[in-house]
Amino acid sequence: MGHRSLILAITLVPVALAASGPSAVAAETPPADAVRRGEYVFNAAGCLGCHTDEKGGGAPLAGGRGLATPFGTFHTPNITPDPTHGIGRWTEAQFVKAFREGEGPGGTHLFPAFPYASYTRMTDADLKDLRAYLMTRPASAQANRPHDLDPPFGWRFLLPVWKALYLDEGPLPDDPSKPAEWNRGRYLVEALGHCGECHTPRDWMGGMDQDRRFAGSSEGPEGDKIPNITPEPKAGIGGWSVGDIASFLEIGMTPDGDFVGSGMGEVIRNSTSKLTPEDRRAIAVYLKSVPAVK
Amino acid sequence: MASRKFLTITAASTLLACLACTAVAQDKESVMKMREQTMKTMGGAMQATGKFVKNEGGTVDDVKAAAARLTEAASKDIASLFPAGSTGGESRAKPEIWTSWDVFAKQWADLKPAAAKLTEAAASGDRQQIAAAMGGVGKACGTCHDQFRAPKQ
Repeated sequence: MGHRSLILAITLVPVALAASGPSAVAAETPPADAVRRGEYVFNAAGCLGCHTDEKGGGAPLAGGRGLATPFGTFHTPNITPDPTHGIGRWTEAQFVKAFREGEGPGGTHLFPAFPYASYTRMTDADLKDLRAYLMTRPASAQANRPHDLDPPFGWRFLLPVWKALYLDEGPLPDDPSKPAEWNRGRYLVEALGHCGECHTPRDWMGGMDQDRRFAGSSEGPEGDKIPNITPEPKAGIGGWSVGDIASFLEIGMTPDGDFVGSGMGEVIRNSTSKLTPEDRRAIAVYLKSVPAVK
Repeated sequence: MASRKFLTITAASTLLACLACTAVAQDKESVMKMREQTMKTMGGAMQATGKFVKNEGGTVDDVKAAAARLTEAASKDIASLFPAGSTGGESRAKPEIWTSWDVFAKQWADLKPAAAKLTEAAASGDRQQIAAAMGGVGKACGTCHDQFRAPKQ
């Protein structure tokens, strides 16, 4: 009898495993719709560029790209579903918190090179879809590299101070007095596209100077000079039509027929060229409405 | 007497050398100017094409003329437009052009078929087709600028 129950147990265990296997996966497998929507959010939010060391031949989203800034060099982390080196063990709530509050699992304050001052504006729905998509990406076991920051910018314990000064947490409600296209454009520019993270100059503490929003910066990432994208006629892009801006975001052509490379070329390739024409137009409409700054 | 001859020869050769180096410097300047002009011609052609694509007043004939200008520019010998070391000053040409010459030359060569597609599209007069062909040329321009042109400072 004892013998028989042992055999029964041995027979049943694999059955139980087989039964629990697919159902456990099913619980983790997000609906195809969420993944598809998440891919669009992923493109609009431009995640690929910073989280991939393209020049070094790194795996997509495995991190390791060095971002030289006036505060030191950030090395972007692995955001593949790898459980050890990536974000595979992050719960949905932890994922949302990272974007909303700039806080990783275990209460680690994240550096704002991860542009949560913008991503905090994302809706819960978009964040959940984005996570669903990221979890379908191939995992990479590439270990993260620590940042090389100049003091005091590398002192994580100072980050709550930075957040108190510069992080205005939470999504941006639509302005009912404005057309839907404008509201969509604002969401794409301010939240997903995080355009201001490069195009708005930063003060000495690395916060965005809100009085000079989108006025450009001489100290962009990798030392690039970042242009003014406000509607100011001379310093900015006041002379560009909505169509000029939309086609620039699609194929990278400026109104004088030049084609951009470098940082913006990458943004166009990875992000804005993959948006719908309606979304590119919405971005253009919103940009034409922001205050002109010289 | 001998020393006088020697002096004359030295003076003459120094003079010649100086003339030569001025000539080289002037040559570099003029090459860079000519190159800038070629780039501007291509930009202007794309601008004209864009006006039609964006429906901002351009005509199909403008696109045809633009495609012809583009084809002519793309037929230029890249080695004569970018002789070794022809950068500095206003030029944003990166030194990598000459260290990765084959990649650079291949990217330039990609312009020609892209321009041919635009010519074809212009002949069809179809806005969609022209827009797609313009995107193809733009991709060739942007790929090279991305790798071999320094950002504006």
